[in-house]
Amino acid sequence: METYNVTFQPDGVTVEAARGKNLLEVAAAAGVAVTAVCGGDGVCGKCRVIVKSGKVTAKPNIFLGRLDIQRGVALACQTYVDGDVVVEVPLESRVGGVPQLASEDAIRYGRVSERVGEAAAFPHNSLARKEYLDLPVPEIDDNTSDQERIFEALRRKQDIPIMQMGLSVLRDVASVLRASNWQVTALLGHRGGTVEVMEVCSGDTSGRNYGVAVDLGTTTVVAHLVDLNSSETLATKAKYNSQVSFGDDVIARMMYATNGERRRQLQDALVSDVNDLIAALVSEAKVKLQDVHFVICAGNTTMTHFLYGLRPEHIRKDPYVPSMSYPPTVRAAEVGVTISARGLLAALPSVASYVGGDVIADVLVTGMTESEEVSLLIDMGTNGELVLGNSDWMVCCSASAGPAFEGGGISCGMRATNGAIEHIKFDERGRVKDAGVVGGGKPLGICGSGIIDAVGELLRTGCIDRGGRLMPDKCGSRLRESESGDKEFVLFLGKDTALGRDIVVTEADISNLIHTKGSIFMAVECLLDHVGLEFDDVKHVYIAGGFGNYLQVEQAIGIGLLPDLDPGIFQCVGNGSVQGAKMALLSLEAHEYIKDRIASCMTYLELSTYHKYMNEYSSTLFLPHTDIEKFPSLMEKAEAL
Amino acid sequence: MSKLEDAKEKWPAAIHELTIGALAADGGTRTSTVTVGGAAALPFMHFEGPTPNRPVIAMEIWDCEPPEWSEVVTDAIGDAIKSPTEWAKKCVEEFGADLICLRLMGTHPDFGDKSPEEAAQVVKDILEAVSVPLVIWGCENDAKDNEVLPRCSEAAKGECCLMGTVTEDNYKTLVASCLADGHSLIGLSPIDINIAKQVNILVSEMGFPLDRVVMYQTSAALGYGIEYPYSIQERGRTAALGGDKMMAQPVICMVGSEAWRTKEAKATAEEQPGWGDETTRGVFWEFGTAVPLLMAGTDILVMRHPAAVVAVREYIDRLMKTEGV
Repeated sequence: METYNVTFQPDGVTVEAARGKNLLEVAAAAGVAVTAVCGGDGVCGKCRVIVKSGKVTAKPNIFLGRLDIQRGVALACQTYVDGDVVVEVPLESRVGGVPQLASEDAIRYGRVSERVGEAAAFPHNSLARKEYLDLPVPEIDDNTSDQERIFEALRRKQDIPIMQMGLSVLRDVASVLRASNWQVTALLGHRGGTVEVMEVCSGDTSGRNYGVAVDLGTTTVVAHLVDLNSSETLATKAKYNSQVSFGDDVIARMMYATNGERRRQLQDALVSDVNDLIAALVSEAKVKLQDVHFVICAGNTTMTHFLYGLRPEHIRKDPYVPSMSYPPTVRAAEVGVTISARGLLAALPSVASYVGGDVIADVLVTGMTESEEVSLLIDMGTNGELVLGNSDWMVCCSASAGPAFEGGGISCGMRATNGAIEHIKFDERGRVKDAGVVGGGKPLGICGSGIIDAVGELLRTGCIDRGGRLMPDKCGSRLRESESGDKEFVLFLGKDTALGRDIVVTEADISNLIHTKGSIFMAVECLLDHVGLEFDDVKHVYIAGGFGNYLQVEQAIGIGLLPDLDPGIFQCVGNGSVQGAKMALLSLEAHEYIKDRIASCMTYLELSTYHKYMNEYSSTLFLPHTDIEKFPSLMEKAEAL
Repeated sequence: MSKLEDAKEKWPAAIHELTIGALAADGGTRTSTVTVGGAAALPFMHFEGPTPNRPVIAMEIWDCEPPEWSEVVTDAIGDAIKSPTEWAKKCVEEFGADLICLRLMGTHPDFGDKSPEEAAQVVKDILEAVSVPLVIWGCENDAKDNEVLPRCSEAAKGECCLMGTVTEDNYKTLVASCLADGHSLIGLSPIDINIAKQVNILVSEMGFPLDRVVMYQTSAALGYGIEYPYSIQERGRTAALGGDKMMAQPVICMVGSEAWRTKEAKATAEEQPGWGDETTRGVFWEFGTAVPLLMAGTDILVMRHPAAVVAVREYIDRLMKTEGV
């Protein structure tokens, strides 16, 4: 087989590749992450690279214009190595940078110390605990085994009905006890209904006990390092989920994971993200990796399956049955996560194929199950998950909203990271007056909250009608036709942007956003309909998900994404997933509560077979809605005009 | 024993009433006008509420000789089919059409590509030839309609025609023309109550009065899924009677073009010897398509075959009888 050298710029990485391999595969092998929304099917047009020199063959596609082709732009997944090649991966196609962590406001809301600890909802009782033991030295009339001696000492401190000690600990226990002069620290881990003595080491190390809470997001993986004694968060880190090279959403990834080898690739990508984050956390907080004893993950059902290396394909197929809903606590090493040698790993349970541990964590954080008042939780991540309920009941559903709020399916869309337009204001003539860019500087693209703002402003200024079509008379010179014939509105000209390329909103983008917001709103209506309640019965609305941090509630109501309720009852949860995982890590009671009072008490409503959804969905494909009566405050405003 | 109350439905609202055509006194040249809508109950439920205006029949004519119509229809119309004015006259004078529906198929780029001026002239000629109100229907090619219909609107200024169609993707040009020239509009939506409503909202947001809009929610022929448009129309009607102003528009249906597309209507006796007399089979099919649409609440039926027109008119006479119920 002929092989060639493929060099990726600006990374300067060169790898060998067999003739006929596509550049996306080669990039993955080289460790150069290239955005591929569709996972390499050639249908998303996002994996744009520039072939600087060398011979390639390419399949024709509809995404590249004449100018692109002249510049050497190619779609990585549709371009095949046919000689030594130098390829540049431009900024726009890079999976890189550091995602924005939840803003300070959001973290303040979800601060765990308010929910775990003295006088809080859950007592401090972490899943991994250290106990210093000054054991009585054995004598002829006190000659119980070393194991029993430790168990008894522990039972004197706390009532622990079932305890166990593994073989590897037992093999060492005799020498450790004697060498330490019977002064040891026992590390205890909660595993199912039992407490495991995970480790016995000499001296008092009880001050060094750490855990990590992880949010396994489809797009972003976030990890917090926690001091399990003090409940303090020592460091936080985030990175993009490396599985992105295998597809932007869980469906694409599940479709990729058709065999054991590919499943392993996905698991490896996810596990190495977790490991990278943990390594970065311990180095920042200056703690030792071997003092990290417990990792707890909250993720959607598919991510949890990937983490544990389970077959995900039945999640995707009717009747949507996952392999697991209550993930077991296992040795972290078993799934490849590197912490202390015998450290444990757990994941939060899921309710259904499309309502996972991340949503469960959100519910725990909001405390909505502790109040009689009805709350609505909307988690707007790569997909939308919603929960409605109170202390007595809960219904949940998943809305196939699509990734528009994360920048997916939007021509200039991007995630809420540096360079993303996160908010935008127009003047009365429909010209951009003011825009906020994450991290400052020239804009690179537009993220979810920015696109909501843009559509809201286009509508307010009459540049689009309520169906989302661009109106030539109002848009003026800002309206033009793209090479593919789609109408687009220019927000920023190339000279004002980071890439020198115009930032536009196309009619197709607007239509995408309308479909996305429509499915969220319709899901809210269906949940309410299912339990026979009205909008007004909802007393609290919680918005979870990274994108919620930038969201302006009034604007979101204005385009019909959120129900028309008093903006004062909306609260942003921030990253509820990692906060909820952290609560479970710090409190066994919270962990049990998740299982007994949240996951097992939630009724899942399947929207794909819900008649109301089918019948009324098209009424939501309008700004804000076909039935303006559903938005009384907007109706009043319109009538006032 | 106490008498049971009649289980009558009470409706809080009614369908908009709309008059097509303008008499000399109102600035037009028509000698008769047609008023539709106004119903305050489900169709022909006279015991629940009044249906002040009977459904009307518009006969469909083209601005060119239709190339693929069934001979059963073209024979019934005769040589007049070669001239839009003669054809229109015959429909009014011989077949008793309440109004004429002129479809400008000859302006379609693939179908003759007649100029806007030619189309406007046909409109003028027909207004001259007949004195009933006129429905003017474009060729449903958005770009061409946007050139042609404003000229036709102008040519018919003051005659209060019914013009169409506007869709959610293309409405601005025609709405502006009809607003300027005093015509009414047909809003087209594909069998979807929400899209029908959205079209009405978009049109009304341009300042167009909602009582000058007629809805066309597309249709189907008997045996070809007519249940679907039936239930959509019925849902729209109950919503309107329940107070939804955005659905309170009269409804128009293309009965002839749907019915005469079916093989049951078109097949010759040679092709289908077991299906009965070919000269009456299609007429029955057009009649059979019109009846359920009437029941669903159609206010304007656009029809083709003169015999079917006669049969449907008699049927409407019977439906409109209020005594004895």
